[in-house]
Amino acid sequence: MNAQDRPKFGKGVKLHRGSDGRVMLLVPEGALVLNRVATVALELVDGERTIAEIAHAVVEQFEVEPERARGDLDVLFDRLTERGFVRRVPAAP
Amino acid sequence: MSSMREIRPLSLLCELTYRCNLQCPYCYNPLSLQSYREELATREWCEILSQAAALGVVQAHFSGGEPTLRRDLATLVNAASRAGLYTNLITQGTFLEEALLDRLIESGLDHVQISIQAPHAVPGDRIAGAVVHDKKVAALRRVRERDVALTLNCVLHRGNHDAIGDVIAFAEEHGVERLELANVQFYGWAYRNRSALMPSLAQVQRAEAIVAAARERLRGKMEIAYVLPDYFGEFPKPCMNGWGSTFMTVTPNGEVLPCPAASAIRGLRFENVRERSLREIWNDSPSFTRYRGTGWMPEPCRSCDRREVDWGGCRCQAFLLAGDAGLTDPVCSLSPNHQIVVSLRDAVESTELVARRA
Repeated sequence: MNAQDRPKFGKGVKLHRGSDGRVMLLVPEGALVLNRVATVALELVDGERTIAEIAHAVVEQFEVEPERARGDLDVLFDRLTERGFVRRVPAAP
Repeated sequence: MSSMREIRPLSLLCELTYRCNLQCPYCYNPLSLQSYREELATREWCEILSQAAALGVVQAHFSGGEPTLRRDLATLVNAASRAGLYTNLITQGTFLEEALLDRLIESGLDHVQISIQAPHAVPGDRIAGAVVHDKKVAALRRVRERDVALTLNCVLHRGNHDAIGDVIAFAEEHGVERLELANVQFYGWAYRNRSALMPSLAQVQRAEAIVAAARERLRGKMEIAYVLPDYFGEFPKPCMNGWGSTFMTVTPNGEVLPCPAASAIRGLRFENVRERSLREIWNDSPSFTRYRGTGWMPEPCRSCDRREVDWGGCRCQAFLLAGDAGLTDPVCSLSPNHQIVVSLRDAVESTELVARRA
């Protein structure tokens, strides 16, 4: 995904926060347990925010190098996009 | 760091009814369909859904039989959704008219799985024992047009395995983004019809190549779930991800099972939600604790590196094939009973199918 793309969830995909604080991405016939970085990133997915904005929030919260955060998010979003759980809304021309 | 998390279910399969207008010979429902006529009432299901959510369940799957035959389906979907559960409808689609579908979506339905018997009407209707293929195609289109996720499912067996390429083409043609090619699993009616349903090794090998090529070609467009048929693997499937570890089924009359096929195991008594809470049954009913974890395991599982990978395979299969649910699944090539599977796989004794009926 490009920095200005605005990711959104595919149909039938939603975040779930359990009473024990554990966050999962619920998908058709499955559930993915999320780590803390993925949780913060995916809670910001709304079809409006860009990848750059989401990466910025992760950098702020975890005090990591911006390049490393972008790298982690690329892996996360590529995997989710490939399985149709996240859709890429291209930047406006 | 947290200590070991309490074992708790994530997924609840609600088998609302075993009634069905189709007669698929590969159905995994029990042969004794007559014993399940005393179906749970709406308020009992609502109570179960609320207990499940409190227990940690995050997904409710509504299945059967054909779940749309229950007039209260939308009420139950709504109860699940309000309890915070992800809701999944597993249907053969023949009753999924616009009004019902809209009502289910308004009630909070997240995902629909529709099954077809074959990619074309004539063979499909023959397997289903009813003229329904075109209705299913219409239902697929209706779901596609709406804001709800869709999976297309097709059970594969000897009679339709060679059409696997056409099933994939059918899914593409109908804009399906998730396809489940489900090799028949031999429980219930499918176990009864095993020798006529068993695919040949040639079919299985050909299918693998076709699926691999389709996955490559459709990457990012369609996800294809395909699992090797049970009797053809070197190791067994991690059935239910371990007995009593994440999954529970409630049958139409309220029995709680660790696996939808478990009623086949003679000698295990299953408790009923009409008598005890879901939490009590999950935590300490003998049917759930008997094969939970690794303590029950005999050799060769006990000392095997894969004991927490496949959890000894399937208890129901061990019972059906080797006569004891406490043995290693005979599908495992390390099982002393593996020869049973080899001989079943290689011998095609019958081609006659017995249609499912009550």
